[in-house]
Amino acid sequence: MATTGSVSKTFAPAQEAPLLERDLDWAVVQKVQAGNVGAFDQLVQKYREHIFSVIYNMTSNREDASDLSQETFIKAFQAIGRFQGKSAFFTWIYRIAINTTMTFLKKRSRRRYISYENINEEVSSAEIFERLTAKNRTEKGALVKELQEKLNDALQKLSLKHRTVVILHEIEGLEHAEIAEITKTSIGTVRSRLHYAKQQLQSYLQEYLG
Amino acid sequence: MANTPKDRQTEVKVEDILRLKRSERPDDAFWGKFDRELHQRMLQTLVKKDPWFTQLIRGLSGRFAQSSAIAAAAVLVAMVVVRPVLLSPASSGVSLAENSEPSLGVTAVEVAMPDFSYTEAMTQTSGPDYRIEVISGRDSSHDASFERDFGMDSMQVASYDSVTYSADSAHSRVSFASAGVASLVY
Repeated sequence: MATTGSVSKTFAPAQEAPLLERDLDWAVVQKVQAGNVGAFDQLVQKYREHIFSVIYNMTSNREDASDLSQETFIKAFQAIGRFQGKSAFFTWIYRIAINTTMTFLKKRSRRRYISYENINEEVSSAEIFERLTAKNRTEKGALVKELQEKLNDALQKLSLKHRTVVILHEIEGLEHAEIAEITKTSIGTVRSRLHYAKQQLQSYLQEYLG
Repeated sequence: MANTPKDRQTEVKVEDILRLKRSERPDDAFWGKFDRELHQRMLQTLVKKDPWFTQLIRGLSGRFAQSSAIAAAAVLVAMVVVRPVLLSPASSGVSLAENSEPSLGVTAVEVAMPDFSYTEAMTQTSGPDYRIEVISGRDSSHDASFERDFGMDSMQVASYDSVTYSADSAHSRVSFASAGVASLVY
């Protein structure tokens, strides 16, 4: 499992070997469709962290993210017989995850308590934090906590559509075309939403930027 | 003042901050629990059979079934809405035309019509010998209640004179649309 760098590099559908990854997934899907239920576990192991990450960043709640990630895999398992391989498996399962999360968030009448994952210690000592600490003249531990809260809060202020696009591109590292396929919109719409979302985030996080 | 290359290197962008989110990862213990729960839930879905309505919806969600349902709905609408409209002019065209005109039929009913003349009336003394003329404003579409209402506007008029005996007809001033006219003429 890759813990650093672009998340999409673990399977890199558009960058490294999209056809290979797609074919590998399709081969596993066909096994499951043929009755080898255990083969589905390979897909779970491969995508569970990406799915969890997307849902976690959309909900800002680790318990909800865990439940919804499991729900996503169960839905995919139930529907895998109808998957025809016209699109890549990862776009298909991302779409299930996003639709499941959106339905959940729309139903949720009030905002829930936000529960965070801890930021990896290796990352907290990264250059970005060095720069932020120097700029804000704050103790690093306090800054990490504060920035995490502000960032989650800023993401929650975005609309669901804008939040989805910015998470898929900036956090998951997906290409515009892949996001367009997942969200069933045009590439132009994806770019426009991304631009607007970044502008919004810039205004929310102004004190840390520059 | 323009930023120097060094400033640009040290400046923090939104993308840099967002990238920090990649490091918010659960630990291994979380994934162990996640896998156990997921396997349990998947086993439950394997064992549990879908309720009949879920199976029905899934069956109906097919493209062929959907188009069949739409076609059936269209035929049903045609049967319910279009067919009566097409049939109605042939079967009831005449009555429609009749009903479209205001039916102001005034029916005179002779209840008793013996041979009668004023001179005879003047000379005869035995037994009532009169004619009741009922003028009704009722048309074919009115019901019995109309007659009750109509009764309120009816008048009986009898004019006597020792020398000459004349009969006047009574006229209601009420418009025909709301009531009728009746007279009892001696």
